[in-house]
Amino acid sequence: MSQCKVNIESRKKSLHYFFEKVVGPLGFKFTPDEEIMNFLLEQEVILEGRHGIPFCPCQPLRNDRVRDMQIVCPCIPFHRKHFDEIKRCWCGLFVHKDVLDPDKLPQLPPKELNHE
Amino acid sequence: MNEKFSKAIRADEIAAGGMKAVEIEGNEIVICNSDGKYYALQRRCGHMNAPLDMGTLDGIYLTCPMHCAQFDITNGEALSDPVPSDLGKEVPSPIIGEYLQTIGMIMKHVHTESISTYVTKLESGWVLIKL
Repeated sequence: MSQCKVNIESRKKSLHYFFEKVVGPLGFKFTPDEEIMNFLLEQEVILEGRHGIPFCPCQPLRNDRVRDMQIVCPCIPFHRKHFDEIKRCWCGLFVHKDVLDPDKLPQLPPKELNHE
Repeated sequence: MNEKFSKAIRADEIAAGGMKAVEIEGNEIVICNSDGKYYALQRRCGHMNAPLDMGTLDGIYLTCPMHCAQFDITNGEALSDPVPSDLGKEVPSPIIGEYLQTIGMIMKHVHTESISTYVTKLESGWVLIKL
C-alpha cells in the first residue's frame, strides 16, 4: 500500500497533466464525459497507491511483468491498432480527438476485430 | 518569524523549465523556474534525501532523480511514492536475496513526506527568498 499520504484530487490533477502530454501526439484526448474521466483517474490513483504504478483500471493484472507493463496508463502505444479502430482506449478514459459523443463508441475486444 | 528576504540567485540564471540549487544560511534550497514563475523548495527529496535539482521539472511537477517520487512545486505536496523496482523473473543469489530482504525491511518504514516551500519574489532581476 501507499506510504505517502496522497491527496487523490492532487494526484488526479498531476496524472491528467502528464497523460495529456502523452496521448495528444497520439491523436487522443481525454473523454469529454467528465464523470467517467474523474472516476477512472481516481481508480488509477488507488491502483498506483497499491502497486506503485497507475495501471489501467479496466484490465486484469496477470502477475506477468511484460504483459502488466502493457496496461500502464496510458496504454495506447501498446494497443494502437485496436484502439484506433474503436476510437477509444479500452476503459474509455481516452478517445480519438474527433470524438464528441463517447457513448456511441462500442467497446469491442481485439478478437472481434480480427487482431488476435 | 523571519520576514527578511534573502537574495538567492539572479533570475536569468535559470531558464524556463530549469532548476538550480542554492544554499542560504545553511538551508539547501532548489529554485524552479516554471514558465517564468519562480518557486523555492527544500532541495532534499521527502523520500530519501536525494538532491531534487538533479531531477526533472515538468510544469509544476518535480520528479526525484533517485526513485521518481513526484512533488508539486507550488506547495511541496508529495504526489506519489517512488516507482517500485522489479527484478523480473531472475532469482537472486542467496547473498543478494538476503541483502534485498534486509533492505526491504528497512524500506518498509521509509515514508515519502511532503517538502517545505519558501515564499519567493522577484526584485531588480533577483529571485528573493523568505526563509
